[in-house]
Amino acid sequence: MTQRETLENWQRAGRTVIHEADAKDLLQRIGIPVPRRDPDHGRCVAKLCHDDYPHKSDHGLVRLGLSPDEAKQAAAEMAERFAGGTALIEEMEEGSVAEWIIGCKRDDTFGPIVLAGPGGILVELIDAAEIRLAPATPQAAEAMVRSGPGARLLTGLRGAEPADKGALADLISRISVFFAENADLISEIEINPVMVRADGKGLVAADALIVLSSNADEQEKLT
Amino acid sequence: MFFHLTEESVPEPNTNQMTTPRPTVGQALDGLFDPRTIAVVGASRTKGKLGQAVLALLKSNGYSGRIIPVNPSGGEIEGLPAVRSLDEIDSPIDVVVLATPVGVALDALETCTRLDVKVVVGVTSGFSEAGEDGHENEERLRRIMQDAPFRLVGPNCEGVVRPASDLQLTFSPMFNDLRPGPVAMISQSGALAGLMALRLGERGVGINAIVSSGNETDLTAADLLDYLGNDPQTRVVLCYVEELRDGRRFAEAAQRLTRAGKHVVAVKGGRSRAGSRAVQSHTGAMAGDDRVISAVFRETGVIRARESVAAVDAVTALAAGRRPAGNRVGIISVTGGLGVEMTDLAESAGFEVPVLDETTQTALSRYVPFFGSVTNPVDLTGVVLANPTYVGRCLEAVTADPGVDIAIAIITFVPDQQFIEALAEAFDNTDKPILIVWTGSARSNASGEALRERAVPVYDSPARAASGLAALAVATGEVA
Repeated sequence: MTQRETLENWQRAGRTVIHEADAKDLLQRIGIPVPRRDPDHGRCVAKLCHDDYPHKSDHGLVRLGLSPDEAKQAAAEMAERFAGGTALIEEMEEGSVAEWIIGCKRDDTFGPIVLAGPGGILVELIDAAEIRLAPATPQAAEAMVRSGPGARLLTGLRGAEPADKGALADLISRISVFFAENADLISEIEINPVMVRADGKGLVAADALIVLSSNADEQEKLT
Repeated sequence: MFFHLTEESVPEPNTNQMTTPRPTVGQALDGLFDPRTIAVVGASRTKGKLGQAVLALLKSNGYSGRIIPVNPSGGEIEGLPAVRSLDEIDSPIDVVVLATPVGVALDALETCTRLDVKVVVGVTSGFSEAGEDGHENEERLRRIMQDAPFRLVGPNCEGVVRPASDLQLTFSPMFNDLRPGPVAMISQSGALAGLMALRLGERGVGINAIVSSGNETDLTAADLLDYLGNDPQTRVVLCYVEELRDGRRFAEAAQRLTRAGKHVVAVKGGRSRAGSRAVQSHTGAMAGDDRVISAVFRETGVIRARESVAAVDAVTALAAGRRPAGNRVGIISVTGGLGVEMTDLAESAGFEVPVLDETTQTALSRYVPFFGSVTNPVDLTGVVLANPTYVGRCLEAVTADPGVDIAIAIITFVPDQQFIEALAEAFDNTDKPILIVWTGSARSNASGEALRERAVPVYDSPARAASGLAALAVATGEVA
């Protein structure tokens, strides 16, 4: 099944918000690294993914720093409280040097755009995201990680290790191409945060959300 | 004429109405900007009517093609034989102007579908801009335009101006006496087009074409940007837009032009329609309309001006066609205070105001008294007014300085006509960009002609000059 067919199936099933577990499955298929699932050792994250609750932390659906066994138990508890959810146990990413947000949406005026900037809690603090038309060429994506106030965070402030800008630019370009090709089906994609490791060590998408276009009229408008 | 070269099914031409295909944007606009025949629907003898003003301005600005007034009472209008209806015209018509109340205008538009017309300019109002009241008219307009064999500018626009063709298709006198030149203007607001045109004209900035695009039912800002931008006469395109219907095409056209070394300066007024979708993500909240506009403009090389006067200031500097090699500014002033203000503004906009070369300082000290300053900003003091050519020589010395990329000359009042001519001469003697700040009241009268005919950028205050300066050095970004 192509990625597009997956999107169409979801849409036919009446889904609008695609929860993290499914969104990550799809992103992995377009070459975006995601955390290892169901590890048998190390520190884990347990989450309950549910289309109706995209903001998991607000509902207590994220538990961090657990052992594999604790994670299984936590996931089972959460699944009991929220019927219809999908439990997700992943390796906890601890080697990152920067958290970034990458988002795509359709702008009313210019159509598909891609955004990248400091993510995690910094999203709330500063307005430093770079925005470009999607699809962003590899050169445009490079420029996005080198421009604006956020670029200094990636370069490493006060002796911090520089982040893997190349991997980040690759992710931006990749997701913007995927989005632009499917912008008739998808209204938004967001990866927040992307955990960016030190230069040369890559990154992983720690959380992801896809919002489908629900409305048939809206799709017609695009064509 | 259709040629069917393949066996594949090709949609049949619409035979029940006409055989003329719809002209392309290029064909229609070629006709619009260099028309041989113009029909003015609503031409009138009654002062105060739109059609009267359109016809009178067209004539008084020296348009030399054929003008056909259309008025149901016929006879002669403004000395021209009028027809009672468009139907009576059996030759091709390049441009039909609709300057009547909306009902009559729609009837005339319908008539145009049976005639050989390239483009219709709809000055008439009363369509979508009138909300519910204009709804029926809008519906009828769209029905007519669906297979119309012509293109439409507007409706609800102020018209089209092309100084090189002596073409003034508008009811507004704001566009009088413009000279031909490198600036094309596209404005969704007619009044703002008028404001900007008048100010550019006062500064001697030449105009290639102005289109007030109105409601953009057919031809959009993107169509016009693509066409006017690709005209070899155009160096700068000035756009005032409120809602970009085909924003993507606009952005792509702008990018092609800026990559080819031309400039696009745009003012985006108002807000886009609120997004109808609920925002589910941070992305939605972070990429608000205004941020996206700034980002896309920056990406595509469009200089975004906050408002129309700042846009005019930017265009004034760009229209002169000189690009600075760097960001070092040399400032000469007949007064200390204005030199200081200009320096502050230049520096806060990211420019350097470096100490001048010793050779330059020596050259300047021949004219500048001991209580002036020959460093930078150069304070010529009022003594320089004693000899009308001194200011020009000082400006030449500063532009010749190898450490100066852009020169700014600040003057207050003009003691003598030669004073201005000396500045104009200094402008001719260099390829470096020169901006003039002229605070006195005589800017726009005869004494400024030597500067206007060269399109030397002249500003009335340091802050306005700083907007021009910013546009010169940064191909992209916001102009304050």
